[in-house]
Amino acid sequence: MDVQRIWVLMGKEIRLGLTSFMSIYVLVMPVLLSLLVALIFGDLFAQTPRLGLFDAGGNETLVQALADHPSIQTRSYASQAALEAAVARGSVEWGMSLEADFANVLREGGAVARTNTYRWGEAGARSLMLIEAAVARAVVEATGLVFDELPVNVEVGQLGKASTATWSQRLLPLLLIMAIVLSGLFIPSSSLVDEKQKGTLVALTTTPASLLDVYLAKTAVGFILSGLMALIILALNNAFAGNPGLLLLVIALGGLMSSILGVILGSLSRDMETFMGIIKVLGLVLYAPGILEIFPQVPQWIGRVFPTYYIMNPLLEISRNAARFADVALDLAILIGFIVILAFVLAREIQRQQQQLALEG
Amino acid sequence: MTSPAISVKDLSFSYGENLAVDGISFDVAEGEVFGFLGPNGAGKSTTVRLLTGQLTPQAGTAELLGMDIVSERKKAQQEMGISYESTNLYEQLNAVENLNLFARLYKVADFDAMALLERVGLSGREKEHVANYSKGMKQRLMMARALVSRPRLLFLDEPTDGLDPVSTQTIHALIETATREGTAVFLTTHDMVEADKLSDRVAFIHEGRIVALDTPAALKQRFGLRALKVEVRLANGQTELREVTLDESGTAQAVHDLFRNEHVLTVHSEEATLEDIFIDITGRGLQG
Repeated sequence: MDVQRIWVLMGKEIRLGLTSFMSIYVLVMPVLLSLLVALIFGDLFAQTPRLGLFDAGGNETLVQALADHPSIQTRSYASQAALEAAVARGSVEWGMSLEADFANVLREGGAVARTNTYRWGEAGARSLMLIEAAVARAVVEATGLVFDELPVNVEVGQLGKASTATWSQRLLPLLLIMAIVLSGLFIPSSSLVDEKQKGTLVALTTTPASLLDVYLAKTAVGFILSGLMALIILALNNAFAGNPGLLLLVIALGGLMSSILGVILGSLSRDMETFMGIIKVLGLVLYAPGILEIFPQVPQWIGRVFPTYYIMNPLLEISRNAARFADVALDLAILIGFIVILAFVLAREIQRQQQQLALEG
Repeated sequence: MTSPAISVKDLSFSYGENLAVDGISFDVAEGEVFGFLGPNGAGKSTTVRLLTGQLTPQAGTAELLGMDIVSERKKAQQEMGISYESTNLYEQLNAVENLNLFARLYKVADFDAMALLERVGLSGREKEHVANYSKGMKQRLMMARALVSRPRLLFLDEPTDGLDPVSTQTIHALIETATREGTAVFLTTHDMVEADKLSDRVAFIHEGRIVALDTPAALKQRFGLRALKVEVRLANGQTELREVTLDESGTAQAVHDLFRNEHVLTVHSEEATLEDIFIDITGRGLQG
């Protein structure tokens, strides 16, 4: 192994990747899909939480306080029915129907002040938390009451089917797998198949560079690109939360597994047609955990059967639920186990390929 | 005494039960062009793969510049340049990028890609993608790539196959320059005229064995017959072709008699080609 030569070969991989249709496809596709999902499901251009209000009368101060709040958008509706309809179609994520003189009743105490609130089923936790905080602050401003003494019980009614995740959240696992697997696996494998078909691999391995150097360079490029793509997808989907070091560790392990698998597949494939045939079969296996996440009604334990689950699940746990190392340790151990097995297979494959190249010339 | 550039002893390799190379032995000196001739399937490619470290010999040894090709493979590969029969360049890159890539892999200091491209007649086209090159240009670039590491050993596999005369001439000139600088050239080709012109010595390989090895002149001397083809006009006005075999005891008298007794119209000398000799030795042609 020669680090300087591996570096040179990595430069060549990246240079050739810039002109390869396959590389452009696998790098651009997850980003485009992310943007598309964000555009369709409203997370890209509507970052500000949307609150709908129906005021039965006498709550102008409270309504104004909410309208003035910089962290949320408010829309007023003429009737409770109009408000319910707006929440049901997702025009606003949260609806509040204020009974007449709600703020005054609240300020004076004694009588019970009531408001009906409505939550859109696909509203994100971030939006809801911001709206709740904004409402609490506006109530304090409008009534002059001390926040921790608010004599309010809020009963929340939900319109439509309950769902714990937005569509963009449900699609994020698939996008993440696409980002990591497409770039980590496809770029080294397709480049290797291409080099075998065009004979450049023989030209490289009859220089002082070894087949190991060539394979390591391809693995490294796949690893780097898959890591970058995962970071881009997480950023585009506002899924950067939790422990960043742990997140990077999972991305690195995922990228490593994908790129080693990619080099193995590329090495085993005689030509591009064989490779695409393998990918057609394997693609479903690789994407299965992401596809399962789209359908919450399917038992999620099925995802554990697939290797990419152990990349996807820790990433989601860390980015969504701020999981700590202990929470994802088992998944990471299994992932490392897969990597060790694949590294062993790759070492054997390098020996086989060396002989194969010599025989085929 | 310096060691030979290539020293092969009892080298053997078989694919399963098919013995491709059967105990061949030969030496190639520094600065020598060694023509390695034989029909398809005779063992040429396997021999080249053994000598370039792609295959590991099953018996025998091969030393390149004193280095064992098995135990010191990468060290030996540092000293060799290879031009393959099929072009295997990075066609999405331009010529300079192709050469620079290999120069970096060989860790050549102060490499000047433009100077090398000038030598192979590709300056002015260096920024074009190789995919746009003609076959001759690609072959010249292959030759340039083989020369990137300033090798002491050049393995050339059909370097001028299907090329135009200008490209062929360029490659021949590069080979001659390389040998003047002491580079040993291992040349495999079907082109007997090229082999005859360029090679200091040639080896014929047939069914995995070397069946003849010598200078082209010595082989012709040993296996071929030189002759004169003489066209004469007969008394009835018709013409007839006569042949006088040279290098025999009665040759001088036969030529003398011909010119004294006949009306000689034309005289052409003729000598055996390497292909004639190969057929003579093996009973089959080189193209088969």
